[in-house]
Amino acid sequence: MSREILRDLRQGTNRRHFLKGIGACIALPALETFLPRSVLAGPVAVATTPQGAPLRMAFVYFPNGAQQDNWFPAGGGKQFVLNKTMQPLEGLKDQIQIIGGLDHINATPGPDGAGDHARANATFLTGVRARKTAGSDIHLGVSIDQVAAEHVGHATRFPSLELSCDAVRKSGGCDSGYSCAYQFNLSWKTPTTPMTPEPNPRLVFERLFGRPAGGGEASIESRRAQRKSILDFILEDSRSLHRELSIKDRQKLDEYLTGVRDIEQRIERAENFENVLRPNIEPPDGIPKNYGEHMNLMFDMLALAFQTDSTRIATLLLAGDGTNRAFPQIEIPEGHHYLTHQRDDDKQAKIAEIDLYYMQHFARFLQKLDATEDVDGNSVLHNSMIVYGCGIADGNRHTHDNLPVILAGAGGGTLETGRYIKAGSQPMTNLYLTMLDRLGVEGVERFGDSTGRLRGV
Amino acid sequence: MRTRLRNLFRAASAGPIVLAALVDFSGAEETDALGRYREEALPVLEGYCFGCHAYGVDEGSVAFDQFEPEASILGSRDLWRRVLRNVRAGIMPPQGEDRPTDEELTALIQWIKADPFGIDFDHPDPGRVTIRRLNRTEYRNTVRDLMGIDFDTEVEFPPDDTGFGFDNIGDVLSVSPLLLEKYLQAADSIVADAVPTVTKAPRQTAARGSYFRDADGEARGDAMSFYEAATVSHTVPVRFDGTYRLIVEAEVDGEFDFDPGRCRVTFAVDGDQRFREEYVWSEGRKIQYEFEEDWSAGDHELSFELKPLLLADKQQKRLNFEVHSVRVVGPMEEEHWGHQKNYKRFFTRDAPPTASAERRDYARELLRSFATRAFRRPVDDATLDRLVSLAAAVYGDPEATFELGIAQAIKAVLASPRFLFRLEEPQQPGDGERYPLVDEFSLASRLSYFFWSTMPDDELIDLAHRGELRKNLDPQVERMLADPRSAALVRNFVGQWLQARDVEHVSIDSLAALGVREEYDELRRDFFRRFRRGGNRNVTNDEQAARTRARFQELRKLSETLTPSLRKAMRQETELLFEHVVREDRSLLDLIDSDYTFLNEELAAHYGIEGVEGEEMRRVDLREDHHRGGVLTHGTILLVTSNPTRTSPVKRGVFVLDNILGMAPPPPPAAVPELEESEQALRGREPTLRQVLDVHREQPLCSSCHSRFDPLGLALENFNALGQWRNAENGKEIDPSGVLITGESFDSVEQMKEVLRTERRLDFYHCLTERLLTYAIGRGLEYYDEHTVDQIVEQLDRHDGRFSTLLSGIVQSAPFQRQRMVDQIQENSD
Repeated sequence: MSREILRDLRQGTNRRHFLKGIGACIALPALETFLPRSVLAGPVAVATTPQGAPLRMAFVYFPNGAQQDNWFPAGGGKQFVLNKTMQPLEGLKDQIQIIGGLDHINATPGPDGAGDHARANATFLTGVRARKTAGSDIHLGVSIDQVAAEHVGHATRFPSLELSCDAVRKSGGCDSGYSCAYQFNLSWKTPTTPMTPEPNPRLVFERLFGRPAGGGEASIESRRAQRKSILDFILEDSRSLHRELSIKDRQKLDEYLTGVRDIEQRIERAENFENVLRPNIEPPDGIPKNYGEHMNLMFDMLALAFQTDSTRIATLLLAGDGTNRAFPQIEIPEGHHYLTHQRDDDKQAKIAEIDLYYMQHFARFLQKLDATEDVDGNSVLHNSMIVYGCGIADGNRHTHDNLPVILAGAGGGTLETGRYIKAGSQPMTNLYLTMLDRLGVEGVERFGDSTGRLRGV
Repeated sequence: MRTRLRNLFRAASAGPIVLAALVDFSGAEETDALGRYREEALPVLEGYCFGCHAYGVDEGSVAFDQFEPEASILGSRDLWRRVLRNVRAGIMPPQGEDRPTDEELTALIQWIKADPFGIDFDHPDPGRVTIRRLNRTEYRNTVRDLMGIDFDTEVEFPPDDTGFGFDNIGDVLSVSPLLLEKYLQAADSIVADAVPTVTKAPRQTAARGSYFRDADGEARGDAMSFYEAATVSHTVPVRFDGTYRLIVEAEVDGEFDFDPGRCRVTFAVDGDQRFREEYVWSEGRKIQYEFEEDWSAGDHELSFELKPLLLADKQQKRLNFEVHSVRVVGPMEEEHWGHQKNYKRFFTRDAPPTASAERRDYARELLRSFATRAFRRPVDDATLDRLVSLAAAVYGDPEATFELGIAQAIKAVLASPRFLFRLEEPQQPGDGERYPLVDEFSLASRLSYFFWSTMPDDELIDLAHRGELRKNLDPQVERMLADPRSAALVRNFVGQWLQARDVEHVSIDSLAALGVREEYDELRRDFFRRFRRGGNRNVTNDEQAARTRARFQELRKLSETLTPSLRKAMRQETELLFEHVVREDRSLLDLIDSDYTFLNEELAAHYGIEGVEGEEMRRVDLREDHHRGGVLTHGTILLVTSNPTRTSPVKRGVFVLDNILGMAPPPPPAAVPELEESEQALRGREPTLRQVLDVHREQPLCSSCHSRFDPLGLALENFNALGQWRNAENGKEIDPSGVLITGESFDSVEQMKEVLRTERRLDFYHCLTERLLTYAIGRGLEYYDEHTVDQIVEQLDRHDGRFSTLLSGIVQSAPFQRQRMVDQIQENSD
């Protein structure tokens, strides 16, 4: 089978499609790069579809809730009509599930008072209540993507990929006494270490495929050996340092050591994955001025990472919750957050326009994955589980129940797509456990505030 | 004991604090403390506070007589911190109620600090600073000073998380695996750019495209149109006869859309053609050629001749041939080779020795010196041994140079936690000293990262080596402040404290802010309608149409009011005012109000101030009718506190309350009735924002906070969302008058500023001290810092708010000078 796939890939129809999206096509990429190697090497138990293709999982976060009148479809089950905000998904209707009735109770004020935006963002993938602090002792929980990466990350060159479209941070404080770390990070490796997301598409590309080699560069082997000697040095250095430090400081150093070990493992893994060839396409430039283009490029990078099986786990924060971004490109000069607290029809319509704008970009991404053939002949979208959602439902009232959630992709055929499911009222984390099951992760019985698995997806 | 524990937990909102309290107040000590409470605090509380906070009343959920047992009130530090802040700022007791005398107030405050906070006034707890990793700015500056190159961390590293309003807070600066990967990459690329890997090499010079001039002397080599014949040239002088290599780098630069243009370019050396090539449209085709020349000493002329092959009237888009550079390398003969420009920064000898033992000694010497600078403290022998081995393993290879080995060790230094983190060590504590001083190397770094956002320079490190830095603290502070690197303090502190950084990105729709957005949209629709009908070329030329057109043009120009250069000028205005206060050692109150500011022509015009010409920012004296002076009237603050389409008195008021007076209000409850709803209560009357807020404030839920900040924000209503002065909004005259919650009334923004700089000046001193201290020590302030801050404020007031008083107060303070011992950290964990 693999030979045929190889040939198919060599024909490169789907790839050409992809390249068009990137902008400039010089020549077809080197092929081996695009082959999910673990699949060719034989069946791997985790993060693999029943057909033996890679199974991917991604989480895409949009900010400030969804305008309620325009989000949920009419009808239910297989009989439903998309509402206005989801119109861009019309052509993909049978490849998604819209899920109602999922809640994030730990994003509600509880004893902590204001700060719903910070909490929504922090809780979204962790299901945990963020410790309210402006920065002296941030504490959250491990996020679901990192739980997954822990179990299946070894199958790919990158255990996980964290992306963001927030390149410029506001100065001063963040939401109501919460550290900004809660609002600009979705993914957390430990309760105190967020996985910093990368906002620059060029750097994502270079991280995935390496920088262009300059003239007279050393061979890959010798570079690897050099890198290793430096890692050895800093490991030993850290060890001697460790003894001198206080507990709190050790924690910081441990973050550093975790990073070193991650890279060591990556180097070892890279040896198994042979040489990584750089797709022969023009890497994207830096961060575009236009927000829509920025989103498209980051989605392109995510698609590229999935398509080349560089990783199977990813998160993309389109904007930190509470963002007051204006949208002049669709003639909305007011800030998003400001608008969500206005109740007149005119302003509500503008919120819906913004929701739609985000959705158009997400839909374009899904279309791209849908048009990309995977190793098993299915589409990459078919072999994925992609959550698109927000930790706030109604942006004005800051509600955290009945969240806006879409689960796109068929999970390699293990999900029954083309439906609008009403989950009653269940923790969002129940859905995450269900997704972990599909990935073949075993032994995770509870996560965050979960009460069980979300059945019937 | 059981009950007591439970009560203690109920009394305080934060668990760990209570535990600490339990340790502090046990047995006899507790009885003493209770005695002091009854004697020193209770009478004041009973006299002035119990009316609303006891006897069954618990305004703001505070009831002083509800603690059971009574002693549990002592452990409630959060409560006392609120009491302290509200009483000190005069917010409590509220206006109109009886107020404690100054003596009573002082007694209460002293008691709070001494008992519930347990502050030892002579030896205050310096607190805990988690080891700080360098943030993006610090990393970039440190690499600049250490390696001599600029590494753009704004592009290469993800943004840092912030805490307490700043991006240099140790606890929040985490190291994710991604970041570590970036650090390793950065080390590679910085070393590749900065450290020479050969002893000597042919010399190199580069002539940039803009050096190439045409016959008229016009520099145009960096952009030659395909449609214009031109010859540009540049003369290169060389000192020696010999072989030279020329490397020509150029580009065909067209727009996204195709253009049919074609041209022929000839490159010549001393009049002899070296290449001739035809070019067509491309979006960015890179061109590179290399030639070898046999040159004699003297001048040599390089020239590019461009000949268009298509007539100019065919041109559709911009299409240029751009010379990037011509590099001249040589002479290639070895006797002319020299050191590369950074060689002396890393290597002390003309060439490395050849004998193996000597090489190792030399490597050790170099790496000791480099690592000491990079780690900002002496490097220990074990680490140095490892670095030397690392270098030797590389240069031991016969293919590799000695320099390559050193470069590899330097990479390891740049990836080491000792470089990336600011590690601090205590000095040997003196007798009876509970909290030791940080050692002088730590102090050198604390100073340099505070003042310069970069590593200590040689002078600081030398003083620390000799143990003489503390002795020379005052002259060093003076020197550091006078050094141009102190611009970093202004830029990074002011940029974050007053959010001046954000003015370059904040999104404001100037047409909406000026109230003409709808008119413009209407005109534009009209314009396009006519355009689509194809009539634009030949519309009736009557006066009406001309007026419309003129108005449309005018509005279009207004829509581009906030140019990048204007925004930059705004940021600089705020930075320059602060810098002026710093450099001239003026009163901090100049930040609140001053009769001068810093403007260039564009910003002055924007403010409506005449007589300022030219791009450069300079000091301008202000007249009363300019209505300017002080940061509250700067475009920076007025813009970043506005909504994209209009001013926001609420945001502005909260900003002043939080960042000038230091009294951040609690955030609004969820689902508060919004302004628009209040607006409806005024149906049809086209209310001003003030009237809307008046209605909003009538609701008791809202008024408790809004009465604190609305008056501050409304006083700034004379400035629109673009920061321009206005007398009216929606045709109604603006009424900036108001009464602060502390009772002072004013009729104009000028009077409001006057109130701030006189009656409320202590609040401002407090606020600024807290912010600058936070920035200086990289952690949020805690209850045990209250006394430190109070002392600095006291000094400040005694010295008319001089900046130098603030600065030396911070530099001399316990949190800046001292640290907890490692074993104290567990004990006082909080």
